[in-house]
Amino acid sequence: MRLSNTSSYRLAYAKALVDLGERLEDLVVLDADTSKSTMTIRFSEKFGERYFNVGISEQDLIGIAAGLAVGGLRPVASAFAAFMMRGWEQIRSTIDRDGLNVKLVATHSGLSPHVDGSSHQSLEDVSLMRSLGRTSVFVPADAVSTYEVVVWSVEKHRGPAYIRLGRDNARPVYGEGEFEFRPGGLSILRDGRDSVIFAMGPMVGVALEAAKLLKEESLDVGVVDVYSIKPLGRSEVLRIASGYDIAFTLEDHRVVGGLGSSIAEVLAESGGGVRLVRMGVDGGRYGSSARSFEELLAFMGLDPASIAKRVRGVLS
Amino acid sequence: MLDEHLLEREIARRLERYKSKGVSWHFESSKSLVPILAALYGSWVKDGLARGVQRLVLLSKGHGSLAHYALAESLGVVDEGIVEREFLSPGSPFQAHPEVGKSPLTMVSTGSLGQGLSIGAGLVLAARLSGVRREVAVVLGDGELDEGQVWEAASTASSMGLGELVAIIDRNGFQHTGPTESVKAKEPLADRWRSFGWTAVEVGPDARSIAAALRSGRVGGRPLAVIVRSSW
Repeated sequence: MRLSNTSSYRLAYAKALVDLGERLEDLVVLDADTSKSTMTIRFSEKFGERYFNVGISEQDLIGIAAGLAVGGLRPVASAFAAFMMRGWEQIRSTIDRDGLNVKLVATHSGLSPHVDGSSHQSLEDVSLMRSLGRTSVFVPADAVSTYEVVVWSVEKHRGPAYIRLGRDNARPVYGEGEFEFRPGGLSILRDGRDSVIFAMGPMVGVALEAAKLLKEESLDVGVVDVYSIKPLGRSEVLRIASGYDIAFTLEDHRVVGGLGSSIAEVLAESGGGVRLVRMGVDGGRYGSSARSFEELLAFMGLDPASIAKRVRGVLS
Repeated sequence: MLDEHLLEREIARRLERYKSKGVSWHFESSKSLVPILAALYGSWVKDGLARGVQRLVLLSKGHGSLAHYALAESLGVVDEGIVEREFLSPGSPFQAHPEVGKSPLTMVSTGSLGQGLSIGAGLVLAARLSGVRREVAVVLGDGELDEGQVWEAASTASSMGLGELVAIIDRNGFQHTGPTESVKAKEPLADRWRSFGWTAVEVGPDARSIAAALRSGRVGGRPLAVIVRSSW
């Protein structure tokens, strides 16, 4: 499987887990009966003795992962993002407070479970997770970067981290070998004369397509992949945004508490006066079932054409 | 080292001394915990050392902290008299609920109820994978059993055959706002644990009975629940 050709976050995740399993004897993987969906099943097929399905019980999932970490192992726990948040208080009180070496890898985040609908679409998880004290939050844009983020977090990073993945809805952004992960890093994928979109996760690819549409209308808009939400590359964000009068954020998450809020905090504290427009899921809206991810994006006003229209409207 | 009976007296004596100095936070909850901690540290942990088994105790009902600190004082882990001086003082080891990195004899931070049993299960699984002989006793309050996570963990433990896991339930009959059976019924408590695939035994609130139950209660590969009744 060439990661640069796949749109599947979870297959990239599974590949990373299996590769890590070969190298790291202390790696253990847990799931709350979603292994056929998160694709941790690939790890379980190869390393069954180091894999635990705890059943449909996310609070227990978090607690067992904590115990495995206290016991000196290197646990990675997976669930759907919406339901992993059911264990948020356990994450907060034990994993984050005690700074345990647990990696929480949530799949099916944002709008990615387009069939399942609003119950399964997590629009608040970045907000919940980045408000914690010690947990890092990473949101890769595509399969290539997913692989690198997972490998780095599990292999090099001691301490808690939340990795937010979608399902099979990644627009490929990076070619093989083009992505190098850096905590607190970001990638400038496209320079723009008129403005910039800071995007996260699957919306990075959407932003790139929107930027192409805008270019056809002679609007030159840059795109930045903010894959490290916490720590956030504050000085780089500020340096990039300072080149414009108006900057945008784009996320498959509520505009409250997620990427938009993260960038807004940086810009407001700088006093630089850059105007920020946050694009994502607004106000009281929830997602919906849809027949495809693209159909859902359009319904939510987050497809490339809608984004291009909104940016054009603000800039003109 | 003190046996369970002497340790029970030592912990109880210190707890009363704290009270006489006005340090009596969640006192009843600590009081019913005394024979449990005495049995665990005066007998169970020591027996484990003799047999080459690492036996760990997790306090899931963190509000029993004064008994826990009195235990630490009795074992000579902290200086005599320090608990009543430093309890609740900001940043001190003697937090209301014991915390990792601050408090004595604490492997996992406490205070949020219902979490200990899952963590204990994780510690058992870690030991199995690491080739370590380890058993874990998790001390729960009876009110704490209202938390759904306890029963998630109880199911996991029996499904995975975690015979190295022990739950000790401090059945003092009270939770924050009143008698447990008037707030949310716990009975028939032993049968509840049995129906989850555990072996369950009920004992009175003295350290010797609890220690005996811990020695003999285990059946096959099932996890063991010891219900310590100080109210019948």
